[in-house]
Amino acid sequence: MSGRTVPGEAARLLPLEAEARLFLRLRATLVWETVRAMVAGSRLRLSLVAVLSGLFWAALYGLFVEAFSFLEALHADVISLLFNAFFSSLTVMLVFSAGILLYGGMYRSPESRLLLTLPVRAETIFAHKFREAMWFAGWGFVLLGSPMLVAYGMARGAAWPFFLMLLPLMIAFVTIPAALGGICCIALVAWLPRLRLHAFSIAVGVACVTGIWLGWTLLTQPRADAMSAAWFEHTFAHLAFTEQKLLPSWWLASGIIEAARTGRDGRPSAAALGEAFKFLSLLVANSLVLQLLAGWLARVAYRRGYSNLMGEVPARRRRSTGLIDRVLIGSDAAVGRPLRLLIVKDLRLFRRDISQWAQFLIFFGLLGLYFFNLRSFNYHNTYASMIGFLNLAVVGLILSTFTTRFVYPMISLEGRRFWILGLLPVHRDQIVWSKFLFSFIGGLLPCAGLVILSDSMLGLPGRLILLHAYCCLLLCLGLSGIAVGLGARMPELRESSPSKISSGFGGTLCLVLSSLFIMVVVIVAALPTHLFLLARTLGPAVVAPDGLLAWAGGTMGAAASVAAVSVVGLAATAVPLLVGLRAFRRLET
Amino acid sequence: MIEFDHVTRTYGAKTAVTDLSLAIPRGELFALLGPNGAGKTTSIKMLVGLLHPSRGSIRICGHDVVSEPRAAHLHVGYVPDEPCLYDKLTGREFLWFIADMFGIPRHLARSRIDREIECFELGEFADDLSESYSLGMKQRLVFAASLLHDPSVLVLDEPMVGLDPRSVRIVKDLLAARTREGMTVFMSTHTLAMAEEMADRVGIMVRGRLRFLGTVMELREQVALEATSLEQLYLQLTSPHGLRP
Repeated sequence: MSGRTVPGEAARLLPLEAEARLFLRLRATLVWETVRAMVAGSRLRLSLVAVLSGLFWAALYGLFVEAFSFLEALHADVISLLFNAFFSSLTVMLVFSAGILLYGGMYRSPESRLLLTLPVRAETIFAHKFREAMWFAGWGFVLLGSPMLVAYGMARGAAWPFFLMLLPLMIAFVTIPAALGGICCIALVAWLPRLRLHAFSIAVGVACVTGIWLGWTLLTQPRADAMSAAWFEHTFAHLAFTEQKLLPSWWLASGIIEAARTGRDGRPSAAALGEAFKFLSLLVANSLVLQLLAGWLARVAYRRGYSNLMGEVPARRRRSTGLIDRVLIGSDAAVGRPLRLLIVKDLRLFRRDISQWAQFLIFFGLLGLYFFNLRSFNYHNTYASMIGFLNLAVVGLILSTFTTRFVYPMISLEGRRFWILGLLPVHRDQIVWSKFLFSFIGGLLPCAGLVILSDSMLGLPGRLILLHAYCCLLLCLGLSGIAVGLGARMPELRESSPSKISSGFGGTLCLVLSSLFIMVVVIVAALPTHLFLLARTLGPAVVAPDGLLAWAGGTMGAAASVAAVSVVGLAATAVPLLVGLRAFRRLET
Repeated sequence: MIEFDHVTRTYGAKTAVTDLSLAIPRGELFALLGPNGAGKTTSIKMLVGLLHPSRGSIRICGHDVVSEPRAAHLHVGYVPDEPCLYDKLTGREFLWFIADMFGIPRHLARSRIDREIECFELGEFADDLSESYSLGMKQRLVFAASLLHDPSVLVLDEPMVGLDPRSVRIVKDLLAARTREGMTVFMSTHTLAMAEEMADRVGIMVRGRLRFLGTVMELREQVALEATSLEQLYLQLTSPHGLRP
């Protein structure tokens, strides 16, 4: 053991490079430990993520190769415009997402509270948090953008320098909006702490209104016009404003297009490569300048902003009783009263947790916007039916992510409050049933609305709408049954974080079973309908001359598929629920 | 070592700390007492630089905590009321991170880390990820981390929360030993018995103002009551009806 020294004599302030190295080492250790824990504890989840990401990447790649071949053949100059539109909208989204992530990381995290009490520079803490925000904000772009850009290179027959330049181009580009987001975040918190929410809301509002206006003007045209030359001209005119030479999105788009250019012999063109390097240099230079600016701003204003935020008095929030609450708890009838009270409690928690209903609203809102614009395109009857079933599957998949993320952990989250529920005169079954009803009713209303909207926009006949609505009902029942049943069967009563609960083995299993269930329901329901419509369009002799396919495409096949779907739906509801109920009754807390 | 010079801190229209002036010399253990919302935590957050005073200044070892935060932090060890650790670091890795942050040379850091692990009896779990620690284990680790650089000033916000009786004894002995060696301790606590047992001086804050500053003996003389325990004196002083002699 060392002898004690004079207080503080061994400590010294570190140079900037040493601080940076320390944080890099910290990040590397944290990433390594996280990956190691995932490999050791969540192999199923990790494999699933890897496989699904691979499939997703491959599917996107195939789709983009087709799209670029089509666009190249019909409208060659549209690609530059599409790149500009895509990258400029991405710039806006990255500014917001990096800004929000940095706000959470720099001002609201316990880590920043620790770091600000250590002898470390404010700009080093910013750089540490900036890298984290850039990764979280940019990985989606890499996952979505890389298949698109690789497909573009393949479709154009680009030479190897194009593929080498892709990653530096993408990273340099992502850094620019991320640094801008950081600058806005630090400045807002330091100088407009009280107005930061208003300023942010106004900026988001302007971006959303612009996006919706653009989408509306582009997609709400006469149906017969879609994909025609006039349609493309109209679209060009509306997107031309994204081709501003001062925008980083234009530098990226131009860099990519130049890098993909080849000479007549198919070899890389030196002049084009030079141009591509010029755009890459432009991106890198701007990215570095903005990072320097953001670092300087952090040095000047981070600690002051942090103090401003800490000094805010949290507003006391008085909450009124909602209409549904009054209806559910207003009745004096004893029948189902504990169940109703439990549902009201969950409803209040859901309403007051912005992260839950905001995600719900964003996903279902975007889906609604997409369904609403389905009218803009012409569809053949058969394809309209197929799109209707695909939309049903998408609605189910989105619902399954919500049931896994929010409903599955509900029983586990009661663990810390079990002493309250355990002392109440409530049978444990009622706790499980209340979660099931909450999930089922909460899921059915938006999902059924969306499915009916999609079918109406596609112009599907009443019988198909009825079939889709019935399948939607079964999906809501089954998905709620799986999430609540598995949640009760595999509760993690000591865990308080819903995201950790849903990302464990039980949550992953719930997501996998939910996805399988959706696939089975949609395929079993869609196949006979599809064959029936094909047979009616092309004639029975072309599709299914005889035997099983003819039977499947006929009325009997349709009836059998409805019966099969019903059995699968009811089994997916009842079996997990019964297993969960039995396990929850025996549970010792 | 610690100087509060006419420090005021407001939260909007509310004043949390009003005109606080206080000087704590080297080697003193100072306990700040007061009811909830009296301004103790605000004072501590200003002392460690998380909050800036609205008026006035705070100096640690001669360094202003607002204009020279890094120089001031070099002399401070801080144990917050809620320990913050990296879940995916082991206790030992966390101690290394803190030692490196304070620029302690590697050979010295190694011996200091071993010293603190032994002192706080962390050996059994020092190489486990801290996500598996109980509140008491986390608190002991934060204590160890705060002492690695042998700070001139140790700031403690409700330090005994979550500690078992044995750990409390360890901390008490350690604080007594370190203050004898010259370390200054600034501690906020609700545990009156601890303040009475350990503090050289106590400060009692009520609604943002320092109502009393002195030794427990002086407090007894000032209140001049039959009350003999610090608890009775404290309750008299912090009563909503004011002092009742």
